[in-house]
Amino acid sequence: MLVSLISHLAMYPQFVIEVIYFGIISVIVAFIVAFYILTQRGGREVEADGGHEGRAGMEKGERNWMLFLFSVALIGNILFLSPILPSARNALYEPKPATTITIYVKNYSFQLPETPIIIPANTPVEFVVISEDLVYGFGIFRKDGSMVFQMQVVPKPYVNRIVWVFEEPGAYDIRSTEYSGPQHPWMFVPDAIIVEGGKS
Amino acid sequence: MNEDERKILALRFVVVALIFFALAGIEGILMRLRILNLLTDLFDERHFYSMMTAHPFVGIYGWAYMAVMGAFYFLVPYVLKRDIYSKRASYASFWLMISGLAIIWTTTFVTHYAPLYTLYWPIPVAVELAGWNPAAIFSFGVGVALVLAAVLVFFFNMFATIFLPARVEMNGGEKVGAGYVFKELMLTAFNLDKLWAKVRGIPHYTARVFNYPVFVVSVFRGCVDTTLNALVIGGVGVLLALFGAAHLFSGSSLSYSLIDPLVYKNVFWWGLDLIADGNVLIFTAGTWYLLVPLLLNRQLYGESVVRTVILADLVVSLFVWNHHMLADTPQPLVLQIQGQIFTWGELITMGLTMFAVLATIWRARPVKYSAPLKFVLVSITGYAIGGLAGIIQANYASNRFFHNTQWVIGIHGHIQLLVGLSLTIFAAIYALFPLLTGKALNEKLADAHLLLMGVGGVVMGLAMGLAGTQGMLRRTLYPMGLGIYEPYMGVALIGALMMAAGFAVFIINVVRTVGLGSLVKLFLPQK
Repeated sequence: MLVSLISHLAMYPQFVIEVIYFGIISVIVAFIVAFYILTQRGGREVEADGGHEGRAGMEKGERNWMLFLFSVALIGNILFLSPILPSARNALYEPKPATTITIYVKNYSFQLPETPIIIPANTPVEFVVISEDLVYGFGIFRKDGSMVFQMQVVPKPYVNRIVWVFEEPGAYDIRSTEYSGPQHPWMFVPDAIIVEGGKS
Repeated sequence: MNEDERKILALRFVVVALIFFALAGIEGILMRLRILNLLTDLFDERHFYSMMTAHPFVGIYGWAYMAVMGAFYFLVPYVLKRDIYSKRASYASFWLMISGLAIIWTTTFVTHYAPLYTLYWPIPVAVELAGWNPAAIFSFGVGVALVLAAVLVFFFNMFATIFLPARVEMNGGEKVGAGYVFKELMLTAFNLDKLWAKVRGIPHYTARVFNYPVFVVSVFRGCVDTTLNALVIGGVGVLLALFGAAHLFSGSSLSYSLIDPLVYKNVFWWGLDLIADGNVLIFTAGTWYLLVPLLLNRQLYGESVVRTVILADLVVSLFVWNHHMLADTPQPLVLQIQGQIFTWGELITMGLTMFAVLATIWRARPVKYSAPLKFVLVSITGYAIGGLAGIIQANYASNRFFHNTQWVIGIHGHIQLLVGLSLTIFAAIYALFPLLTGKALNEKLADAHLLLMGVGGVVMGLAMGLAGTQGMLRRTLYPMGLGIYEPYMGVALIGALMMAAGFAVFIINVVRTVGLGSLVKLFLPQK
């Protein structure tokens, strides 16, 4: 049950991050409110030009705070570069692709090799997206609107590629995730990808 | 210029900035309605995107820059007890900025030219594909170049005001040129004089940066970032003007391939992100460093450390642009990881900045909160909320599902700009108002202003962010229906309307304090 829940959440990492983020900002807001109330009360008298104000170097509290910030930055970098997130697993620790799907984009239109594109679940698939003219985006979305992944599509001579492993079977939409002109909102291909097999 | 002339100059900048703020707000609300698929008969996609192109220029340059310019034209001479370097340059920056923004706004409104502020190559010059009018490309490019020329004139005026007088006094009044200002800036902004002293083995050398108050250090270090930004974005303006002119005169486009789209994007983002660091982070920090000790009548906590933190912020800012390019797979991986790691550095510098400000307030207990101090406290909250979201999205892995979503522009962009930066600007306005006009604004109305703008901004930003985690993109209309994103956009509209109400309360406060006539007279020739 727990493994199933973790596995499900791992496929929607943005929601996990959202919950953690809201937890942290709740603490921040509570801290500021408490700070506002407490600072209006009397406190220990600290001379206006003495203490740390007049001296060079860091005070103990400031040094501890800096060490805390450094630790958060270090842990944050390690976590986001670790294979915890599916996007890191697929992008930074790229599995060898079993198949390659090449998509061309030209004049505000995706040119797919087939419609829909059939992909087996739990198999590394390489998407190669080539723009013949402008900068576009290439994003894959679930039917509930949530994003699986996306990348920018830099025009030729550049080739844009990403490897992904789909774990959930079902239909997926393709949408351009970058503005390329007023025609941009229409760059949407519903049910462009069907993932077969795997756990539902 | 005497002090009265500088006061009028500052007030003129601030009044125009407020007009631009109102304009950007009206555009924002109109676009928000259009995203909800309302007003579809009034403006189509093309019109919507042309408005979205003008919106950040009006908001960032018209509002934030003009307010900062007005405040600094008054505050830097005030703090240093000297005159501004050039009155003519001050007014040149005023009119160049207004002209440039008027051209950008008119071009987008009349021709519906809509490359957006990102200006990704070759979208702005794609005449045939996107259907742009070549005259619009030329005109827009000229507008952008004028805006950034205004910014460059302002910065030179600031640098000269800060660095020239001591030298002129040393030379017995003899004038020295721009070369001297540049050399002095480089030595002081990057502590190179200290380094040079170490190389030469000079013991107990005190860096020149200690000759200047912390606020002034923030001004010139922030100005280094924003000068580089102006050179890059102004350069893009010139480039567009050239492409537009070439098309107008020859009847056909220059080849897009003259410019590499990925190299362009790197240079563009390197320059563009420096606004975020210079204007949004360093100038804000400087304003807190000035206002909080002034309002509490005590020294800033950890002044010497704070100078180093500003230097660290300046250095970090030069290496963070890659967090905008984490979704560009042709970009070398090493650059992307470097962008991620340096961006976390901003957590440290901004965290230390907030610590110094909060520690200064804490040590002044019991504190009687005046309006500007309350605004500073809420703006710190805005920076914490928006900055944290920025740190989260600026990672290689998380960027795969955050890039270009409403999360980026909602929680990070708008909360940082509207609650963080804008409330800092309003804090400065509330603090400076008695100095500039001899009258204080009503505190109860100020409280209402803060409540509506602070809560409204956070509600709007968080609602947009929640839509972003659901997959809603920025810069995207959903003509076939918003689906699950609709409730979030509805709440975001409520937040936006709260902010508009807050701004209206502020305007009422200003008008009932000084009268509409005084504001109009400000722009008439002075006796």
